[in-house]
Amino acid sequence: MTPHLPLLAAAAAMVASLLVGRAAPRVWLATTLAGVTAALLAAVIVLTGGADWEWRSSFLLGGEPLHLRLDGLSAFFLVLLCVVGGAGSVYAREYWTDNAHPRSARAGRVWWSGMLFSLGLVLLASNGLHFLIVWELFTVCAYFLITLNRQRREVRAAGWLYIGASHAATLALFAFFTILAAHTGNWDLGPLREHPELAPLFWLVLFGFGLKAGLFPLHIWLPAAHANAPSHVSALLSGVTLKIGIYGLMRFSGWLPLPDGAGWVVAVLGVASAVLGVAFALGQHDLKRLLAYHSVENIGIILIGLGFALVAMQQGSPTWGRLALAGALLHVWNHGLFKALLFFGAGAVLHATGTREMSRLGGLWRTMPWTAGLFALGAAAISGLPPLNGFVSEWLVYLGLFDATLAHGPAACMAISAAILLGITGALALACFSKVCGVVFLGAPRSPAAARAHECGPAMRGSMLALGAACVAIGLAPVVFWPAVVRAMNVWNPAWAGTAAPVALTALGLFHVALALVALALAGWLWRRVRLGGLTRALTWDCGYALPTARMQYTAGSFAGIITGWFTWILRPERHQQLPDTCFPSTARHAEHTPETVLEKIVEPAALLVMRVSALVRSLQHGRLQAYLLYLLIGVAALSLLVLLGGAP
Amino acid sequence: MTLILHLILRLALWLLLAPLLPGIINKVKAWVAGRRGPPVLQLYYDLAKLWKKSVVLSQLASPGFVIGPAVGWVALVGAALLMPLGPAGSALSFRGDVLLLIYLLALARFCTAWAAMETGSAFEGMGAAREVSYAVLAEAAIIAAVLSLIVHTGSVSLITMLAPSPGAGAALLAAGLFTVLLAENCRVPFDDPNTHLELTMIHEAMVLDHSGPPLAVILHGASVKLLLFAVLLVQAVLPIGEMTPPAAAGALAAGVLLVTISVGLVESLLARLAFRRVPLLLTTAFLLCVFALLVAWKGDAT
Repeated sequence: MTPHLPLLAAAAAMVASLLVGRAAPRVWLATTLAGVTAALLAAVIVLTGGADWEWRSSFLLGGEPLHLRLDGLSAFFLVLLCVVGGAGSVYAREYWTDNAHPRSARAGRVWWSGMLFSLGLVLLASNGLHFLIVWELFTVCAYFLITLNRQRREVRAAGWLYIGASHAATLALFAFFTILAAHTGNWDLGPLREHPELAPLFWLVLFGFGLKAGLFPLHIWLPAAHANAPSHVSALLSGVTLKIGIYGLMRFSGWLPLPDGAGWVVAVLGVASAVLGVAFALGQHDLKRLLAYHSVENIGIILIGLGFALVAMQQGSPTWGRLALAGALLHVWNHGLFKALLFFGAGAVLHATGTREMSRLGGLWRTMPWTAGLFALGAAAISGLPPLNGFVSEWLVYLGLFDATLAHGPAACMAISAAILLGITGALALACFSKVCGVVFLGAPRSPAAARAHECGPAMRGSMLALGAACVAIGLAPVVFWPAVVRAMNVWNPAWAGTAAPVALTALGLFHVALALVALALAGWLWRRVRLGGLTRALTWDCGYALPTARMQYTAGSFAGIITGWFTWILRPERHQQLPDTCFPSTARHAEHTPETVLEKIVEPAALLVMRVSALVRSLQHGRLQAYLLYLLIGVAALSLLVLLGGAP
Repeated sequence: MTLILHLILRLALWLLLAPLLPGIINKVKAWVAGRRGPPVLQLYYDLAKLWKKSVVLSQLASPGFVIGPAVGWVALVGAALLMPLGPAGSALSFRGDVLLLIYLLALARFCTAWAAMETGSAFEGMGAAREVSYAVLAEAAIIAAVLSLIVHTGSVSLITMLAPSPGAGAALLAAGLFTVLLAENCRVPFDDPNTHLELTMIHEAMVLDHSGPPLAVILHGASVKLLLFAVLLVQAVLPIGEMTPPAAAGALAAGVLLVTISVGLVESLLARLAFRRVPLLLTTAFLLCVFALLVAWKGDAT
């Protein structure tokens, strides 16, 4: 079977959903799901051994013939788009309803369909010009989705930052594609290894796609955009569109000749993103902002794998490069799945309580048991805990690093430090998610809104369940998904062809299954034992204090305090405090806030400087005609002087 | 069939021997202090008693309060099963199993921290925060130690990588891993298992509200973790792979006993550190492991 028909059906369904999105929500959901399923089918056909699909038409768009291609790498990312896009569509149906959001729900559906469609086209486009067009289209769709709730000032600010940063990326890509086209004579994209003079273009690729992927320090737009967008949009942005940046990096690092040191730079940026992403996450009090910073961390883990794969390719030592790349690819899927799940969970909390402030939440497990359980699953997965999917991909990356160490090449020292820092990242992520789960879902509610929370409905719950099931499936049976990873890997570097799954992966899967079964059985048994053995409920022990209140609980800030203390050199937390001063102190307060340091301490001052200099230049233009005439006179005089003295032609 | 029998025997060994270690430590402490002290088998009596008791649960606690300790216990026992036991080899071995072991310990930590946050008590939150924060440094030290073994033996699976040769590297590794053992198992000088002041505890603060069977599971899991670290330390330092099986088994047992006694001696002779000094000591442990790694690297290169 060829993917031709499913892709045609997907395109037709997406166009239909674009058309009916405004008027008929039910038909919109049905057509979107049909489109997503058809595209998923096409991707699965390609990944399970089908040949690459390629389509050229003589139809000209912008003077260029249409050229679409679905190979292993694009199919790999298309699967993620379809799964998260489908789950998000179902979720949005309940989360962003016409009743609750009469101003924006209709437009939101159309932009959502447009976003899915243009993201799919980005993955398929095989012509530089068309790639730029659909790339811009998806950026615009994303902008309107982020600003759906644009009555609020911070949403508009986040949208503005997003579109500004995105256009910086687009500018780099524009330069990249035009230079490429000028050099090769056409806009067609494909392997270009035999042109070593194109190698410096990789830096443009790294900037353009790296900014979209949110690697440190180009992540400045990411936390605000992901925190302020509606949660289903945050899930798509974090789960899929960041991965489109990774897709671009993988696509063109696989096709272009690489400059010396490309792999090192990617790996170092990856390590920096991983460690600093999670450090910033620990300093956050806003649930969705925290999740957004964790995206920076996970993009870092993906880039560590990709960076070492690039180093391996440049050194011609495939064994550990394959493992690192396999880990990076699998982490693309895994992060897409659990991050979407976590954003859906955060959305359910926001929907039920109306706040993202962790210091106002707490005790939600009582009213929202499904959300709490599924969020905990996602939290364990993102912390890389066995037996879930996050561990499998991190394990592959680690194995790549360990093998790189054993190879004793020039990569070994870097691999050692990367492995240690990856371990630190894992432990920090665990600390961060212990904090989130504990503060948001456990203990006593810290505000009336949290006490009155309610569980989300079947659509939101169902989409979370589907993503949670996918996380568990990859964790328990990683071997099943291995051929897809290999297929994508072979497209990236055909020289590394090979299909056999590492034996250890099978063993790991079996261990995970056993672990999950025994843990479930024992947990059930212990709970039963506790119930049957007699259960008394009493106050939490507080040194004998009989009236504990919710405000006496440990807060998110205190929980992370030890670790954020180690990172003050980069976090630069802002403290506002009023200490009790007199013998009978009346008020005392303490507030701490972690700013987006790179944005507020580097980019904004730099931008301010540029604005100041521009303002100086601008004072030349003031509307006084006499002065303008003087400028003209000086100009003409200077020119004549130049002609008189220079004498040239 | 033999595989299952092997597995059951190994499991029985771990589960039955583990509670002995805290008893020995307490005996050593009592001996140094000139007391008679509790019997060596005290933890067994405690566990049996706790298992029969009914449970008092905090009003705020969810079923996760009980599920957490259960899953944490399974993770620790799973990690123990991955650990090779001298001449007996390991029950399951594959490339990269050492990472699974490290992350199973992390899973146990997540479960304990989860259960601690259930009660909404500030003490337990404090304990959980300390546990997950100090674990960051301990994990870095463990990975550095593992890397030194990997570089030294050229292997990525536990069964073959625990083949040290005597020298400066082994000594550094012993010092580093012993410090990590003290930190991860919440012993003096990082934490005082005997203190009665909630504000100064780590592990004990996290389990303040547990009682009955879940507390028994937590205590037993903690003793398995202690044994696991002791076995790891002994095998990472003593070249028992080169001995005959009976000698190796004897050396392993003697090594674990020695480690246990050392823990007891440290606990008797040292005071608990102030919390702000804890990261310093853990960083020292990390550096010791890094130096061991450098020695392995240098020895391997020549």
